[in-house]
Amino acid sequence: MMVEFGDEFEFQPDVSMPTVKSFTTEATRMDFWRFTDHEKARELGGLPGAIVPGIMSQGILAAAIHRFLPGSTIRKIDTIFRAPLLVDSSPTARGVVTHVDEEEGTAEIDLTLVNEAGETPVLGTAVVEVARAE
Amino acid sequence: MILDLHNHSIKSDDGRARVESYCQWIRKKEIPIDGFVLTEHRQYDDESDYRALEDEFGLRILKGSEVETEYGHVLVFGVNDDLRAAFDFTRIDLPLATVLEESGRCGAQAVPCHPGRPNVGLCAHYETRGVPEGVEIIEVASGGSRAGEDEAAAALAERHDYAGVGGSDAHIVSHIGRCATRFPREIRDEEDLVAALREGGFEAVRWT
Repeated sequence: MMVEFGDEFEFQPDVSMPTVKSFTTEATRMDFWRFTDHEKARELGGLPGAIVPGIMSQGILAAAIHRFLPGSTIRKIDTIFRAPLLVDSSPTARGVVTHVDEEEGTAEIDLTLVNEAGETPVLGTAVVEVARAE
Repeated sequence: MILDLHNHSIKSDDGRARVESYCQWIRKKEIPIDGFVLTEHRQYDDESDYRALEDEFGLRILKGSEVETEYGHVLVFGVNDDLRAAFDFTRIDLPLATVLEESGRCGAQAVPCHPGRPNVGLCAHYETRGVPEGVEIIEVASGGSRAGEDEAAAALAERHDYAGVGGSDAHIVSHIGRCATRFPREIRDEEDLVAALREGGFEAVRWT
């Protein structure tokens, strides 16, 4: 296998307002103020600011897996949303291999999005079919 | 002895970690704890037997529960048949007074957890519901806390002279061992844990 128990990876995703707007207006047609307008999110939504859509967070975590394991197949991914991930923040997407099944050719991975304060607003796990070396 | 008092396995609805993976992670990362307690949400897991894992990894693996009250979530250590008959662990609106009283009567120990967390922590309810009687120990170091929450818990403990414990509130493998509790003595089983909590002299520790 190309991975071992305890392997770790991370990258800094772009959750700036232009990127989130691109995601919500062009890619998904989810152009809601809670995602794209800090002021309305605060005043109307009682949120600390505009928040990154959940499916975008999950997409970021899936992208993190593919950066770490190019050619792999995500068999299962789930995410738990514990707190808002704010637009224009600087989160870190992290993954940790927590189980390797040599026979099945799969790895289980812990996934987190950690904000600047070290908090984990989004976490989850994935089961990944790892591409075998030729 | 250092035990991480607050963790969830796949037995909890929002837990994603297998207990074996917790053990592997602790050893791989050389996390300086001697064991951990599984506190599954709204239930007591009396089916799982972790003795083989204890032997394989040299770790103490104990069981407790995390129940839900009108004052927020509460860890219960030393769960036994008497306590399980005393109230319905699956309810999300248990009276805190009942959990505290029955735990004491049945030889268990109740510990409100993540007190600084909005809605599900003790602090949020003190102003509206008043100060509950019978709280002796609270969780002052939680691996799941956001900024300011553990500080609020510590201030609450200081104000009311509560003892403080630590636990990771881990739901995924890599989150175990972020917080724990250092006891001045060996703890062999759940009864021992209750005795150690009642004796005092422990302290919360945090590595993150």
